[in-house]
Amino acid sequence: MSGAGFLVDLHRCVGCGSCVLACRIENGRADELAWRRVLPLNLKRHPGGPTYFLSVACHHCDEPACLRGCPSRAYEQRADGVVVHHEDRCLGCRYCEMTCPFGTPKYDERLGVVSKCHLCADRLDQGLAPACVAACPTEALRYQGPGAAIGADARAGVPGFLDPAGCRPNIRFAPPKGARRVVLFAALEKMVRR
Amino acid sequence: MLVTLDEHGRIARIEGDPSNPATGGHVCLKGLGYAQRVGYRDRLLTPMRRRHGGGGFDPITWDVVLDAITERLTRIRATNGPSSVLYYEGSGSHGALNGLSMAFWRQFGGCTTTYGDLCWPAGLEATRLTYGANIHNHPRLTRDSRFILIWGHNPAETNIHQWRLILDAQERGAIVAVVDPRSTDTTDAADIHLQPRPGTDAALALGLARIIVDAGLHDTAFLGAHAAGFEQYRDRLADYPVGRVADITGIDPVAIQDLALAYGRTRPALLIAGFGLQRHHRAGQTMRAVALLPAVTGNVGVAGGGWQYANLASHCLRELPLPQEPDGMRAIPVSQVARHLETLTDPPVRAAWIERGNPCSQNPAAPRVRTGLASLDLVVVVDQFMTPTAECADFVLPAKTLFEEEDLVTAYWHPYLQWRAKILDPPGEVKPESEIWRLLCERFGYGVTWFPVDKIAYLRKLLPAGHESALEALMERPLDLSGRGDIAFPDRRFPTPSGKVEFASEEAAERWGVGAVPEYTPLAEGHSSALAGRLPLQLLSCKTRDRIHSQFGNLDWVREVERPHVLDISPQDGSARGIIDGARVAVWNDRGRIELEARVTPGIRPGVVHILEGWCHEGDPDVNALTAEGVTDMNHGATFYECLVNVERL
Repeated sequence: MSGAGFLVDLHRCVGCGSCVLACRIENGRADELAWRRVLPLNLKRHPGGPTYFLSVACHHCDEPACLRGCPSRAYEQRADGVVVHHEDRCLGCRYCEMTCPFGTPKYDERLGVVSKCHLCADRLDQGLAPACVAACPTEALRYQGPGAAIGADARAGVPGFLDPAGCRPNIRFAPPKGARRVVLFAALEKMVRR
Repeated sequence: MLVTLDEHGRIARIEGDPSNPATGGHVCLKGLGYAQRVGYRDRLLTPMRRRHGGGGFDPITWDVVLDAITERLTRIRATNGPSSVLYYEGSGSHGALNGLSMAFWRQFGGCTTTYGDLCWPAGLEATRLTYGANIHNHPRLTRDSRFILIWGHNPAETNIHQWRLILDAQERGAIVAVVDPRSTDTTDAADIHLQPRPGTDAALALGLARIIVDAGLHDTAFLGAHAAGFEQYRDRLADYPVGRVADITGIDPVAIQDLALAYGRTRPALLIAGFGLQRHHRAGQTMRAVALLPAVTGNVGVAGGGWQYANLASHCLRELPLPQEPDGMRAIPVSQVARHLETLTDPPVRAAWIERGNPCSQNPAAPRVRTGLASLDLVVVVDQFMTPTAECADFVLPAKTLFEEEDLVTAYWHPYLQWRAKILDPPGEVKPESEIWRLLCERFGYGVTWFPVDKIAYLRKLLPAGHESALEALMERPLDLSGRGDIAFPDRRFPTPSGKVEFASEEAAERWGVGAVPEYTPLAEGHSSALAGRLPLQLLSCKTRDRIHSQFGNLDWVREVERPHVLDISPQDGSARGIIDGARVAVWNDRGRIELEARVTPGIRPGVVHILEGWCHEGDPDVNALTAEGVTDMNHGATFYECLVNVERL
């Protein structure tokens, strides 16, 4: 059974950055330490592929490389699959920075510890959506509870996102829709597979 | 939106209001940005006076600043009369109490105000002339549409709440078509994208109508009962065969044909126009031509159909009680502030008071607004931050944010009136504008009975007749007090002179001196004008998701996620000038010259270049150095997008 995670609807996401801001307001991490990022694909709109945005934070993997590589047991995988990092147990060794293939843990030079997205676990426990999901004005970013059906529409990978270390990340993507985007997306996928 | 304060009274969280049906309970980037904006490090917290000799500002007290302003205004009025003072207000912060400024100026004996608007007036007037009122279907009915034609509009970036509903419709099977010379986040998601030359939309609209009528897809029953002047309009369509329209617009005739047939055949079909296609001289006639398409196909008064531009259903408040208007009032078109600062006589402008606006960045010919202000005897600017306009002031007064005074706020997309609660005391020495005007009236010995003692009681009296008791409900959630229901013109009765949709408008002809039936006229500064030989590129300066004009761009949070300040240019126009992606370029015309980085993108139509407006980071170039002080054919709008330039690599 897969754990809790995010779904990004690539048709609905316009890369507006509201999720990044909402995360920052909720969790206070800024600039290069921000937990959520929006990665644009093809912002210059080359005609060979669609333009879309990957809004990513921690993927709360089923096989979290950060947790496996942590010598101080600073990482915890909750029953619902949320991977929480406890800063008070962190040595600042930065091994997780190396083992995580997604660049998720962020090292804070000032505090000497890493930090990362905890899926707003305290909000989840109160029955609230994560701050980034609650803020998303187009409902592109969604929370998926543990064991949630992935849905016929969603997929684990899209061009621009890979799982090179076999972590089984709990992020799902709904592919772009709209006549022009569908054609471009298919062409892009074909190119990437080749 | 809902705001949570922490134990120190600072904003801890901003969330969408789930009771607002228009937003679905979500906030946009700017709404979230208020969490930083309100307590931002650059926020002006005290009145400031320019240092003698010009360099920088010093904080002063309200007593000193109000005495100084009173003394200088009195002197200027004695020498040149009251209308030598320009009062310029922008739209930086909405609220009914903004009108209280006139309680001062009318007692002062008058002033010079501005008329028209930089943003949207031609489209409003075109809609009013055509349908009788700027009333549209409720946003939620967007979901019922089967075909959504978005014209000169980029809701994915500039109306994210509308975009959510369009995406919902698309997921339910609606076709989304977009007419825009640029590629945007909106066009990316569309099923159909047409990229006409800027300023040719009227020809495209009339060409689409011609194809629809020729194919017999027009709604003869609707037109027979509810159209005025359709025969004249039909005659006009004879001038717009698809071949000619393709030549004018620069669009493949097959694509025009396909769009016309798809729009004509699919019901209900919704047409959403933005403000973008009415920022040139021919704005009103263009908007009339486009606005008639839903009437041709009978998509009026039905769920999922209609014409959408700016819904003024919430504009139902009563007028503020104000002193009698004095003789000394005078007005200038808002798009021509620079020209009038330079040339106005009898009397010339000698002082300016500017609030909620940033004309030194946002008006056409912005650098000349700056030099114009510098030549005056007194400039007062009220703002939250040190904008390029505030930099020109003799005195800067610190303005409130929306959380620091109660008010009523109207909308221009959804039909809801909203209560704006006061949840924070103004920080430092900040005073709401209504308080500043009251204090100034006291200094001058004027009556202050016009100003609210109890703001809640005062605002209650502004509610439409019979709705005074709705204030408490308004404090809980947004309300539609228009009493109109979700569908605009359900009985297909239109408040026009004929009571019908006006394909031919005698009122348009009389009031604005244009043809009664809309037509396409080439722009004086367009792709086919003589000037295009020397300045061949049409410059658009569109709006971004990151700012509201020049607001919010100063915040760290926004800077972190904002789109870069670049010139978008097509590969064809780029390679003809040796411009590669990332190159420094100069953009110039006879009005000005700016330098910035080029982004070569196949997304933009060749012959068109684009720079996002509202970027006023310190020392960076301003697109309004290039724009012209034109006035639209209707209703005194600005002509930002009628702007030819050339570009060269540096």
